[in-house]
Amino acid sequence: MELLPQALVDGILLGGIYITIAIAFSLTYGVMHVIDFAVGEWIMFGAFTGFYLNKWTGLDPFIFLPVIFVMYFVIGYLVQPIIHRVLSGTKGNPFLMGLVFTFGLAIMFRGLALTVFGYYSNSIPSMFSEGSFNFDNYGISITIPYVRLVGLVYALSITAILHYMLKKTNFGLGVRALAQHKDAAGLMGVNSKRTGSYVYGIYVGISAMTGVLLGCILSIGAQMGNEYTIFAFFVVVLAGMGYLAGVPWAALLLGMVQSIFMIYFNPSHTLLAVFVILYIILLVSPRGLFGKGV
Amino acid sequence: MNLRRAVLSAVMCITTLFSATQLFAADAKSTFKVGVITELSGDLATGGNITKRGYDLWAQEVNAKGGIDIKGKKYKVELLYADAQSNPAAGAAAAERLITQEHVDFILGPYSSGVTLAVAPVVDKYKIPMITGSAESPLIWKNKFKYTFGTIPPINFTGAQSIKTLMEMKPTPKTIAIIGSNDAFSKATAEAYKTAAEAAKLKVLKFSIVPSGQDMTPLLSAVKSMKPDIIAFGGHDEEHVKFVKALRQIGYTPKGLLMHCGITDKAFTDAVGKDGNQIFGTTCWTGTAKTTSKILWPNAAAYAAASQKAFNNPGDYTQGGCSAAGIAFQVALQKVGATPGMSEDMRTKLVAAIEQVDVQTFYGRVKFATSGEFFHANVGLVPLTIQIQGDKIVTVGPKASQEAAPQYPMKEWKSR
Amino acid sequence: MKNFTARQGVLAFVVLALVFLPLLSSDTFVLRVVTEAVMWVGLAIAFDVIAGYTGYLNFGHGAFFGLGAYTVGILMMKAELPFAVALPAGGAVAALAALIAGFPTLRLKGAYFAIATWALSRAIQQLALNMDITGGPDGMRLDAFLNPQFFYYLMLGAVGGTFLVLWYLLERAPFGLKLKAIREDEEGAKALGLNPTMLKMQSFILSAIPTGILGGIYAYWITFIDPSSTLGDLVSDQAVVMVVFGGMGTLFGPAIGALLIFAFKTVFWAYLSKFQLLYLIILGALIAVSVVFMPNGLWGTMLKRRNTVRREPEAP
Repeated sequence: MELLPQALVDGILLGGIYITIAIAFSLTYGVMHVIDFAVGEWIMFGAFTGFYLNKWTGLDPFIFLPVIFVMYFVIGYLVQPIIHRVLSGTKGNPFLMGLVFTFGLAIMFRGLALTVFGYYSNSIPSMFSEGSFNFDNYGISITIPYVRLVGLVYALSITAILHYMLKKTNFGLGVRALAQHKDAAGLMGVNSKRTGSYVYGIYVGISAMTGVLLGCILSIGAQMGNEYTIFAFFVVVLAGMGYLAGVPWAALLLGMVQSIFMIYFNPSHTLLAVFVILYIILLVSPRGLFGKGV
Repeated sequence: MNLRRAVLSAVMCITTLFSATQLFAADAKSTFKVGVITELSGDLATGGNITKRGYDLWAQEVNAKGGIDIKGKKYKVELLYADAQSNPAAGAAAAERLITQEHVDFILGPYSSGVTLAVAPVVDKYKIPMITGSAESPLIWKNKFKYTFGTIPPINFTGAQSIKTLMEMKPTPKTIAIIGSNDAFSKATAEAYKTAAEAAKLKVLKFSIVPSGQDMTPLLSAVKSMKPDIIAFGGHDEEHVKFVKALRQIGYTPKGLLMHCGITDKAFTDAVGKDGNQIFGTTCWTGTAKTTSKILWPNAAAYAAASQKAFNNPGDYTQGGCSAAGIAFQVALQKVGATPGMSEDMRTKLVAAIEQVDVQTFYGRVKFATSGEFFHANVGLVPLTIQIQGDKIVTVGPKASQEAAPQYPMKEWKSR
Repeated sequence: MKNFTARQGVLAFVVLALVFLPLLSSDTFVLRVVTEAVMWVGLAIAFDVIAGYTGYLNFGHGAFFGLGAYTVGILMMKAELPFAVALPAGGAVAALAALIAGFPTLRLKGAYFAIATWALSRAIQQLALNMDITGGPDGMRLDAFLNPQFFYYLMLGAVGGTFLVLWYLLERAPFGLKLKAIREDEEGAKALGLNPTMLKMQSFILSAIPTGILGGIYAYWITFIDPSSTLGDLVSDQAVVMVVFGGMGTLFGPAIGALLIFAFKTVFWAYLSKFQLLYLIILGALIAVSVVFMPNGLWGTMLKRRNTVRREPEAP
């Protein structure tokens, strides 16, 4: 039992990482109803951008987060109209088409990344990535790596900012109206095209910043995207698709399950447990943990 | 009508492409056509491209010397690549294509054991010899494929040496935690370490297999609380990086950290920087290994220099193994006096000659087992324990091959 | 009428060419490639039963394939049963899995169904990685029986049979219409007296059986199976791409999609392997562009164009 505090802390920190992967993804789904298969690839591109900026300038990668956000915001803003076109088609099954479109994007991005960056794994050095905070008293011993703490703070700030933006600004009002009813929102004067572009831009920007963070905590590589796409899906579905407030809880649950399973059960069954839990929760509560998905 | 035209033109397109390659196939018989099946794309492309470097360097060197000298006449080699796409089915198709379309004389084999297992029955069927310079799963050799050989000894042959080296450290380590990723190669590595540790009376505090690509921090937190002297890990490149970073982040420095050969690759040391210092590894070749040879490269250092020149990378044991696979063929071909466009009879003789190969190369001694659980795997090599010391990778065990004394215990992460 | 005969002519030509191919060409590589192409046609049309006709996107399609493959592998290697017994068992296990998983899962809709099936297939893959009988990550090796003609005709027979059965059920019998009714409006279908739960189950099982059988043939043909090649995302991903590219909710669409994508892939792989990364880029771009410009897929777009051309003279 002496490990329990550490297990919980590890779970929370891991959960923080999953929040960063999934929060913006959930926002886009809520507004555009697109399951973006390229989420992992946006993360990967962000990670490499951070890697090279650090390599060229020698400055800490966290300094570049705003630059990377702006860069990828613009890219996302420019890509969105194509997705919008696919999704607003009347032929075939637009939902499926959107999904397949981003699937194609993901394959293309991976090919591009392998061409440009090569096959090797790498890592982004940061001043935070070395030390850790140690607590060792009253028979309890807890270690919190600084870089993971930074990750958690980043995750919570992004969540808070998005929450503020959605609830307190006019833009957020438009976004929420759009998520609730596309046509009615249009009638009320919400420019669905432009709002969609902003949202997608924000999502791509946040995902790219997340890539830098993941590069500092874990590793980077041209084929890393797929792994994170899986976790993004997991968290977003568990939270209820498009239900932003559910994301932190779902992410924490996923982190906790992984941490507890690795420490107390057979670690090789960790992913099995993760997928079985996701499946069962979906069956019991088809719209996510809180039943609030769209 | 449109449809018919579309279908017809598609069919014509494909047939033209097929016949076009038939034309290229007709070639003068002054060069050996060497098929190479390896993973140039997909999940295992990192490793596949390392094997490609090894095969390329061999072919380049042979051709620079005018070719393989067979009974006074020199024959050049031409490599024909077929991508196995990290998929066994594609590997089998690649073998079939190289054999039936390109009519290759012999084959240099895949990076991964999975693809090798799918390719081996196909080369057996067509009686085309294949030497792989990388695949090393014990499973391959247990199947006793007649036409398949490998230059890298199986991990259950090499792993024990590293544990033995660590047991010679002072103070003698008493406990070990072993973690392996759940893929064929990494799991076999972890199991080899476990068997060796148990045999050496090292207490195994934890033995865990984790799903590939996971964040192992929680597991390492548990390991930390057990305070093992040694931590051993079987995994692939990306997992090595994650593993070292996780250990560093939770701030636990074992007295010895043992990982498999992937750490000898420059990409690993680039990624983890100073945290890579003093990590132990298991391998059977390094660029500074004490080998002497009369074929192509006089010793390991000459090979490493050639590789550095060609690829800006001194090469690791996989790349070396691949070049050595080419040399093994070379020696066998000379012995039976085979010329390009071998008959089936000649290829059978060639296989018999490969079985008898016993030669000193830049890679060390190459000799394939002809019976037992290592059937057709190279058992001529001496397994090495290496350590990253500063910006160098040095051999620290066994004693006879030692280049520097091992540094033990490992320096604390935070005082680096 | 003229168009109809043209179509029949092409079809007859393709069928005859396929049946006599092994007699015309002794090239075992060509035979292998065509065998695999035929396999993908089978996987794509089986996937389309539940995805295209019924409107449920099954991201776990690959699991049926892997279950079939592992059933054949285990029965042949551990129980030492002959292939003729193991292969139907492969189909049966896939059907059973569809029955068990389908009942709870088919209650989910849209993206939720897609992700649930995907999670389930991932769980099955993890199970195979952790069990002893499957060989874990090492996979399984089957005794090699490398007779290209045997596998060619077996694959052709299995896929041809599947095609005929599906064509009859989906295009000629009322079953297909009932499925489409569910796809368009499930509540409405219920009001018409249809039993959507039952119909969806039937469609799910109908999609699973051929997939399991093809997996079984694959195992014996390739002689080596492991969790990443048979239970990974490969089969599901390819099936989605082939079906969407060709045209959902039809039989010819996915078949053509499968053939074209597989041919493109193979030509690139065999003759342009130096540009393997370019292949990924082109494939990705092709998928994205085809979705933007041909939302009904290749076949759907062709049908539509023909229909409009045909309708013109009828206008007053």
